[in-house]
Amino acid sequence: MTGLAADRRTFLKGLGLLGAAALVPGCATSTNSPGSGSAATGQLALQSNLSSEQAKAAMEKLVAAYNKTGGSQVKLNTVAAEIFRTQLPTYLTSANPPDVYTWYAGSVADSYAKKDLLLDVSGVWDSMGNYPKSMQTLSTSSAGQKIFVPTSYYWWGMFYRKSNFEKWGVTPPKTWAEFLQVCKTIQGKGIPPIGIGLGDTPWVASAWFDYLNIRINGAPFHRQLLAGQGRFDDPKVKAVFTKWREALPYFDPKGKSFPFQEATSALLAGKTGMFLIGTFFADSAPKDALDDIDFFQFPIIDPAVPVAEEAPTDGYFASKKAKDPDGVKKFMTWLATPEAQEIYVQSSSGTAIPANPDGKSADTPLVKKGKAMIESAAELTQFFNRDSSDALQPTADAALTKFLDKPDQIDQILKDWQAAADKVFKA
Amino acid sequence: MSSTLTETAPGRSAPRAGRGASRRTKRSGPRRVSPLILAFVLVPFAVEAVWVFWPALQGFWLALTSWDGLSAPRFVGFGNFGDMVSDPIFRTALKNTAIWLVLFGGLSVVGGFGMALLLQRERRGVGIYRAALFTPVVFSLVVTALIWRVFYQPDGLVDTVLRTVGLGNFIRPWLADPDTALYAVILPALWRQIGYVMVLYLAGLKAVDPALYEAAKVDGASAWQRTRYVTIPQLKGVNSVVLSVIVIDSLRSFDIVWSMTRGGPYHSSELLSTYMYSTAFQSTQLGYASAIAVVIFVLALAVILGYLIRAFREEA
Repeated sequence: MTGLAADRRTFLKGLGLLGAAALVPGCATSTNSPGSGSAATGQLALQSNLSSEQAKAAMEKLVAAYNKTGGSQVKLNTVAAEIFRTQLPTYLTSANPPDVYTWYAGSVADSYAKKDLLLDVSGVWDSMGNYPKSMQTLSTSSAGQKIFVPTSYYWWGMFYRKSNFEKWGVTPPKTWAEFLQVCKTIQGKGIPPIGIGLGDTPWVASAWFDYLNIRINGAPFHRQLLAGQGRFDDPKVKAVFTKWREALPYFDPKGKSFPFQEATSALLAGKTGMFLIGTFFADSAPKDALDDIDFFQFPIIDPAVPVAEEAPTDGYFASKKAKDPDGVKKFMTWLATPEAQEIYVQSSSGTAIPANPDGKSADTPLVKKGKAMIESAAELTQFFNRDSSDALQPTADAALTKFLDKPDQIDQILKDWQAAADKVFKA
Repeated sequence: MSSTLTETAPGRSAPRAGRGASRRTKRSGPRRVSPLILAFVLVPFAVEAVWVFWPALQGFWLALTSWDGLSAPRFVGFGNFGDMVSDPIFRTALKNTAIWLVLFGGLSVVGGFGMALLLQRERRGVGIYRAALFTPVVFSLVVTALIWRVFYQPDGLVDTVLRTVGLGNFIRPWLADPDTALYAVILPALWRQIGYVMVLYLAGLKAVDPALYEAAKVDGASAWQRTRYVTIPQLKGVNSVVLSVIVIDSLRSFDIVWSMTRGGPYHSSELLSTYMYSTAFQSTQLGYASAIAVVIFVLALAVILGYLIRAFREEA
């Protein structure tokens, strides 16, 4: 009996020890962020939000290729995009942060530079003389430092199935009037002309706002508005919605209920006519259907406004507290090379275009057309959240989905939007 | 006066000392507390302190600040609570939380109790029904949400059923229509909760002495009277458990709303919990979000304390 009791006692003591052991790393996580396990120099932690299957595999290939070059060993840590986004402030402010991060160019990167959390990578840019001016501007913080290394970009367009357009007897429109005419024709065939996917992904509606605004008021006005220097209840903003209203009867009413992935399926199945979306939709499309896909540029509304396009740029930035800044810069210099970007672009879904002008993009007519459209644009914008902040995006989601539902209440909607935006800019 | 006091003092203290001594001997056992027991108390306490008490205290402090998660929090006093008064989304969320508490809480009690009464008697096959009602509890709420989203999707099960019975006109984008979104989410939440409450009541009903029913029957009580005057008073203990569970579950309902509508469309199905999450992690207004968390805490405490105080008073 006593033996048994002693056994039990030692067992329980062990349990207590286990509990204490569990407690210690628990305390540690309050200062260290998870995933930052590279204490030894010569090792870099790369925090990636590219968690979709294809993109993750492409990242693994990319890292494996770099690790063979004999520099620091890079350890890839992939986190789901939504978690990454919410945790990024925690990563960057922690005592022992991961070194390099996947992120987006523009104001969403600059907001961290303003808090002095990012590594100055001007040295990396010495090797990037062939990058266009627009990329340089996007990668420069408001304090004038280079804080970002762009590696790829994609484009937004009005995508459609070639065979369906042929069947319905319509050709891609160039102007707004032609566009409405095409919508009318498709609707006459009993098909909702414009697909959209707002359930779960309400931010898709921002593409319409962005494009209408840069077509009507121009890119500089759009950028200022999103930076908090304008007002959403400005009559110029209302003009955007007045124009939008002309197209509202042609939107697929079911689009409110499902996310953009299902809107993609609807487009591919011929249940909608066209769909304003970024090329990432191809990730959730079967390969054989992609051959039948084409796109046209968002219709021109005012020919006097310089043509701007949305070309969201992806890339990397690094933490200011990186333990081995030289190793980080070496890695980022490599990421900026055409070879590195081709590895990524070829292994992912294939619709992204390398940021390095010497990098080869996928050799499909679709990608060539997209690249040509972006290169001929007078101005580039990123996307609503990238040109403003992730904090402003929900205010746009609420305003735009409400407008799609209740266009009569536009004045009240814009007033509420401005109030919500004020709160974000004040915070 | 002073002399009498000093005189009586020792006299009085003597028996006291004696009592004290006897108490001490009684206490001597537990006073030499084994380190193991101490560990059992202190380790969970330390764990709780680090993971529950300390963050909770920090939450109260953050509620008084403006914080974006990056810079140092800035003290703003009760400014966040002032902002709530003029925040239309907060008011919608508060109203929706009240609707949720009444509909989700009320209907799950009524439904759960009704099901328990129906299924309490051992009949053949009753276990199958009980299991069927309890099955949804086993599913994670996120899975439940997925199942129901398929039901609600355009041309999904709900739409098909309505069309077959000739009610096609009623079809709406259930989760995307601001008038129906909240109720379309309450339904699956109830689907799950009723099974849970039923099990709690079934356990309570099992504990009721059958002799009470016998006596009531002999006295000529009808079935309704037996329920009203025997069953319900006997379930008082279970009721307080059910009430606490319901209030807590209502106020912390988050996963099902988030995975079905994310509080949308345009905040029409927002609950305090989802609004707290989106202000914290989408708008990165962590101070304001903490203030909302404090409101949720106060609401839960008020409802439960109110009930418990009344229950204790009745017992006393």
